[in-house]
Amino acid sequence: MAIRAALLLLRATPPQFSLKKRTFPKQALIFKQNNRNFAAKSSLEPPDVQRLAETARITLTPHEVEEFAPKIRQVIDWFGQLQAVDLQNVEPAIRADNEDETLREDLPEIFGNRDSMLAAVPSYEDSYIKVPKVLNKE
Amino acid sequence: MLYCTRKNIRAQTASQEKPQAQLKVSIQTESRKHDEILKNYETIIGIETHVQLSTLTKAFCSCPYNYGAQPNTSVCPICMGLPGALPVLNTNVIEYAVKVGIALNCKLSLSSKFDRKQYFYPDLPKGYQISQFDVPIASGGYLDVDIPIEFGGGHRRFGITRVHMEEDAGKLLHTGNGSFSQVDLNRAGVPLLEIVSEPDMRTGIEAAEYAAELQRLVRYLGVSNGNMQEGSLRCDVNISIRPIGQLEFGTKVEIKNLNSFSSMSRAIDFEISRQALLHSQGQADQIVQETRLWEEGAQKTVTMRKKEGLADYRYFPEPDLPGVSLTEEYVDGIRDSLPELPEMKRRRYEGMGLSMQDVLFLTNDNNVAEFFDATIAEGADVKLAANWIMGDIAAYMKNEKLSINEIKLNSHELVDLISSIKGGTISGKIGKEILFELMAKGGTVKGLIKEKNLVQIADPVEIEKMVDKVLADNPKQLEQYRGGKTKLQGYFAGQIMKESKGKANPALLNKILLEKLNAKS
Ligand SMILES: [Zn+2]
Repeated sequence: MAIRAALLLLRATPPQFSLKKRTFPKQALIFKQNNRNFAAKSSLEPPDVQRLAETARITLTPHEVEEFAPKIRQVIDWFGQLQAVDLQNVEPAIRADNEDETLREDLPEIFGNRDSMLAAVPSYEDSYIKVPKVLNKE
Repeated sequence: MLYCTRKNIRAQTASQEKPQAQLKVSIQTESRKHDEILKNYETIIGIETHVQLSTLTKAFCSCPYNYGAQPNTSVCPICMGLPGALPVLNTNVIEYAVKVGIALNCKLSLSSKFDRKQYFYPDLPKGYQISQFDVPIASGGYLDVDIPIEFGGGHRRFGITRVHMEEDAGKLLHTGNGSFSQVDLNRAGVPLLEIVSEPDMRTGIEAAEYAAELQRLVRYLGVSNGNMQEGSLRCDVNISIRPIGQLEFGTKVEIKNLNSFSSMSRAIDFEISRQALLHSQGQADQIVQETRLWEEGAQKTVTMRKKEGLADYRYFPEPDLPGVSLTEEYVDGIRDSLPELPEMKRRRYEGMGLSMQDVLFLTNDNNVAEFFDATIAEGADVKLAANWIMGDIAAYMKNEKLSINEIKLNSHELVDLISSIKGGTISGKIGKEILFELMAKGGTVKGLIKEKNLVQIADPVEIEKMVDKVLADNPKQLEQYRGGKTKLQGYFAGQIMKESKGKANPALLNKILLEKLNAKS
C-alpha cells in the first residue's frame, strides 16, 4: 500500500512512464496535448505536497513535507523543459505509444491459481474479503 | 404534506377509511397551493447512466461474469489489482461501445484512449478505475423518445453529451452493525458504458422515458440486458430548479438509488417539490450541492453526502493500455450491421396505420416486435395481428410470467389462426380456445382443428336440426318469446351454440333461429 501510495504521489505530478520509454520528440508531442492538464499548471506552481499527500491518503510529517517538496519540484522542472520544445510542425497525439493495438477475444477463462490468490488476502471470511467499514466515497 | 407529490396525496386520501371532510379540504387546498408554487419554477434534469455490457468476460481480463455467482469466484490478478498484472482490452467492449455510439447518433472518436481515475474505496482494488476522461469514444448525439399518451404524448429529442467505456467496481456489503464491510470482486472489471445526457429533461416522466428508451436501445442492440434490479442499468439523476426567468442555473442535486423507471419519476417529482418549496419560503440557500438517496419505503429523498468542492480524481492516461483506434471501415461495418432501432420501428409501425398506443406496446420489447414483424411478413392483417398480440397473448404472457419467446405459439401459427377465423373455418371463440392451447402446449392450428373436430358448422341443414331440437326442449321459453318477450332470442342462441359445442356459424345460427322463432306455428 505504501508503495502504491508513493507512486500515486508521483503520478499526481506529470506522469513519468513515457520518460523511460520514448525518445525525446515523441514525448514532446504528447505533452503538447497534455499540457492543458498537467504541465502548464505544474510548471508554474510549486507542488502543494500536503494536498498531494491527502489525495494519496498518506500522512506526512512537516519534516517529510519539507524533504519531499524539492524532490517533486525537481521532477516537475524536468518536464518543464519540454515546454521549450518547438511543436509548430508536429501533429498532436493523444497517446504516448503507437504500438499495435493488442485486443483480446471475448473468451472466458478461469484463473487457475485462484485459491492461493485468495489465501493471500489478509482478511477473508465466508467467501468475502473483509475490510474496515467505509461508508463515504470521495 | 407539501413534500408529497399530488399522486401521493391522492393515494393517502384514498387509503384513509373515513377521511374527515376537513382534512380532505385542507389537502386539496394544500395541493392547489403546491401546484401554484411549482408553476413559478423551471426544472433542469440531466441523467448519467451506467450500462453494464453483456460480454462474456470482463473488460480487461478473461474472467467470466455471471450475476449472482458465488462471491469472489470470478477473479484473477488483473481484476484483483495485484502488482504486475497487466490489462488487455476485450475486443467486444469496443464493438458494443461503437454500436451504442452510432445508435445514439454520436460522433465517434476514431482515436481515443483510456485514463486512470484515482480514488480510494474498498470496492476498487487497484486504487483507480480505468475509464475515459477527456477523449470519450463517442460524443454529441441524441435520443428520440415518444411520450406515452397517458402522460401527455408527444415526441422529444434529448441530447447525448458523451458515451465512454470504463470498468465497474466490486460490490460492497455493509452487513449488520459490525465494524467491517464485505467485498465481492466478481463485478470488479466488468465493462460499463457511461452515457451522459444533456440537461434536456424537464419532468420526472421525461427522465423516466429517456431511461426506458435507453434500456430498449441497449436491448435491441444486444449489448446489455438492461436489467435495473440487477444493476445492469443504473441511472443517476442531476436536478436543479430555478425561478422562471432566472438566467443562471440553480444548485445541482444528484439523486441515486433509482431501481425502476417509476421510482425515478417519483424521486424527481419529490425533489422538484422539495426544492420549489424551499425557494418559495425564501430558503433557497438550503438547497446545497449534494447526493441524495431515494428511499422507496418512505417515498422521499434523503441526504447521502454533501459535496465539498470538486473531487480530485487526478486523471492521467492509462499507461498499461495502448490507445483505442477505429478505422472508418470498421465503423461503417458496424453501422451496416445494426438492427432496426426502436425509433425507426415506431415510425414504421405508425406508417402502417397503428395507433401510438399499439406502436408503443409492440416496440417496447424487441422480441414482441420481431414476433409481430414475422406475422405481418407472412401476410397477416396488421391490425388483427396487433390485437391478438396485445390482447390474449400479452395477457397470457403476463399471467404465466413468460416472454414471447418462451410461449409455445410461433408467429406462423398465429398467422394461420387469424386466417382460419377470417376464412370462416373456425369461429372467433374457438380461435381463442385454440390460441391458449397453442401458447401452452404448442402444435398447429390445422392439427388442433382436425384433432378436436373444431371446424365451424356452416351447413344450414345441420344448424336447423339443432335449432329445432333446442326449441322443442324449451316449450315454455318459446311461448314466452312469442308472447312478446323477444329478449329470449339470446337465450336460444346460447343454447344452440352450446349444442354445437361452439362450432355453429353465429350469423347463420341467428338467421335460422329468427326465422323459426317468428314462424307462425
Ligand atoms: Zn479477472
